[in-house]
Amino acid sequence: MSDSAIGVAELAAIYSGLKAIKGEINVVSTQLDSVGQEVESTRSDLSRLEEAFLEFVESDKKAKELSLAETRQVKVRQELETKFGHYAEVRRQVTGILQAADISLVRQETIRFATEGLMLNAPRYWLAPALVALAGWLSNNKDLATKAVNEAVRRDDEKTSLFFALITRRAARANACSVWLGRYFGLQNPEKLDRQTIVLIDAVASGIFSTEVRASCAKTLDDWVQELSQRAGFVDEQRKQWTDALISKMPSTDNGGRYPHLKKYSLTWQKLSDSLNAVAIHAVALDYFQGIYDGAIPPSPTLAAAVDELLDKLVGNFDDQELPLRRNDRLYQLIIDENGDRNAAQSKFDLESKALDEHLSFTQLLTNAAMHPETSHASRATQRFAIALSKKWIKDAHGDLGAEIRRAVPTDTDISIEDWHGVTKDGDNEGDLARSLTEHLKKREADAVASIGLESQHWIALVVGIGCLLFVGKSLLFGAIGIGFLIWFYTSYSGLKKKRDKVSENYAKLGGEALQVVKACLAEVVEYRREFAKRDAAAPEFSKLLDGISPEQYVLHSHDKTRQIISR
Amino acid sequence: MARTLLPPQFPSLTSNSVTNSQPLLRAAAVEDRLRARRSNTYIEAMKRLDAGAHIHDRQALDKFLADIRREFPDIELQHLPLGIVARCYLGAPYEVHTLDQVGQIIDHYKRGESLPPLMERARSLSLYPGYAFVEVYVDKLIAVTEEGDTSIVKG
Repeated sequence: MSDSAIGVAELAAIYSGLKAIKGEINVVSTQLDSVGQEVESTRSDLSRLEEAFLEFVESDKKAKELSLAETRQVKVRQELETKFGHYAEVRRQVTGILQAADISLVRQETIRFATEGLMLNAPRYWLAPALVALAGWLSNNKDLATKAVNEAVRRDDEKTSLFFALITRRAARANACSVWLGRYFGLQNPEKLDRQTIVLIDAVASGIFSTEVRASCAKTLDDWVQELSQRAGFVDEQRKQWTDALISKMPSTDNGGRYPHLKKYSLTWQKLSDSLNAVAIHAVALDYFQGIYDGAIPPSPTLAAAVDELLDKLVGNFDDQELPLRRNDRLYQLIIDENGDRNAAQSKFDLESKALDEHLSFTQLLTNAAMHPETSHASRATQRFAIALSKKWIKDAHGDLGAEIRRAVPTDTDISIEDWHGVTKDGDNEGDLARSLTEHLKKREADAVASIGLESQHWIALVVGIGCLLFVGKSLLFGAIGIGFLIWFYTSYSGLKKKRDKVSENYAKLGGEALQVVKACLAEVVEYRREFAKRDAAAPEFSKLLDGISPEQYVLHSHDKTRQIISR
Repeated sequence: MARTLLPPQFPSLTSNSVTNSQPLLRAAAVEDRLRARRSNTYIEAMKRLDAGAHIHDRQALDKFLADIRREFPDIELQHLPLGIVARCYLGAPYEVHTLDQVGQIIDHYKRGESLPPLMERARSLSLYPGYAFVEVYVDKLIAVTEEGDTSIVKG
């Protein structure tokens, strides 16, 4: 009798112990769920942190490059000033002497004294003896002028010839101007011109030369084009030159701000963004060329003023010893313009680097004049002239580039959300993608739910519990233990449903969020296609602009009174 | 920079170059020739590809091939287009149609349906509204506008 009384008391204790265990298990289970959610949330925070860190590293790198470029540019300009600053003194004297001689305000001895001093200050510089020759000419000292001209020609024949062609034109010495120009042209090889030839083209385009000289120059330039055209592959080369020139104007914008979902969820995003930047070239080129042709170019008030401008350009910008420093200066300027993006600046520099080559073909000179006027020192009149001569090649290059851009734009856009991938062309297959996503998530949910089940220890507990109950007759303890195991089994079994419901709830939430992402991506694809088509629509406008350009537009009204009756 | 007076290579005179007439263009000039503006007759002929009846009409197909030959009389056979791809105006579900010189067929393709391998690369270009059609070559594509202007894409 006392044995069964002890058994009941122990049973009650065991039962309350098991109840406590069940409570503990429930608490642990809830804590595990919350740990799982914390892990997910931590993972997503980590991913955001990684993104933010990479963005920071990129912007820090750009800021450093920008600061370095600004510092280095200052150093390069200081070096230019130190090494070649004394040239500036010589250069200033050119227009100073001419303008003083115009109004006879300065004595000839003063001019002569000043120019002789330059010979001592600037050894090996061609402009110094040229100025001595000019001073000799002004003071009617033929011997001095002849000796100085010979020395200037010995130091730099081409620049001296062009210099005196402009000086003699300024002084209305038509024959002398023709002779000097003839000498200059005779020294030229149209495949390998010096950069200062742009000054000559400027002079032709601005109407500085007399009508006869201009006609003769225009014919020579035409002959150069014909001569170059005979070469195999020449026209292809022109198209490539113009294609490179157009590409150099392509923007490199980050479009991610306007298409955030595609940027985050599409593996095709980089190609899409590149294509959008590429197609922007049509509007950029249209604006650029319209800027060249819009409005009249105000002519200089007098011939002297026009020539002085060209002389300043000739003496100031084309000395080859300065070229390496000027190239560096240009690269640093591009890095500053691109806000520290060194790669973008380097690509632009490579495309326009031909503008700073020592020698280049006539047609490359024209391309540089039209597309990189700041670097090649071309006036707007020269740009118009250059474009008119190159119209056919520009049109071909632009047409080919447009076709290449249209071919390269991705027709299929990928959307990837975790391990699901979908593809859309124009964003109009929402139904198909939603179905595919739903099926994918259903399968994942089914796999996840299927993996929630009783494990081996639960089945062992069931078997042991039943086994113990069978021996309850021998001792109530067996019964208690058996019931304990069975209760534990039942608790675990009933907990399964709760877990499965939780999984289904999570997947339902994930499904809703994923569908929103898909819809947002599709909306962005529709917007992308619209924006691409809008930008592409500028292409025929550009072709129309080119078609409307006629050769006569490039020649400014001459300073001569006579007019040209037969045009090119 | 002074120029050299004598060119680096003199053209060599051989009996071939003196006695042979050269009705067909050399390869170097072929691309320039292919870049030339297309005639209105040719463009109109290619636009008629859209009429479905030509799929089964052998005579009409031969006429198309003859139209291509007539447009390029001075170009050797291996430099002629392999085929034409153009946007299909028959309406959905058709997207593009092709004229295949090699297989000598005209076909209409639905959206999502693949074209023959060499023609597939011209598909996206042919859908651009500014092009009347795209000529497919071994090593390039030439897109032709309604006015006959051409643009070349290599590859």
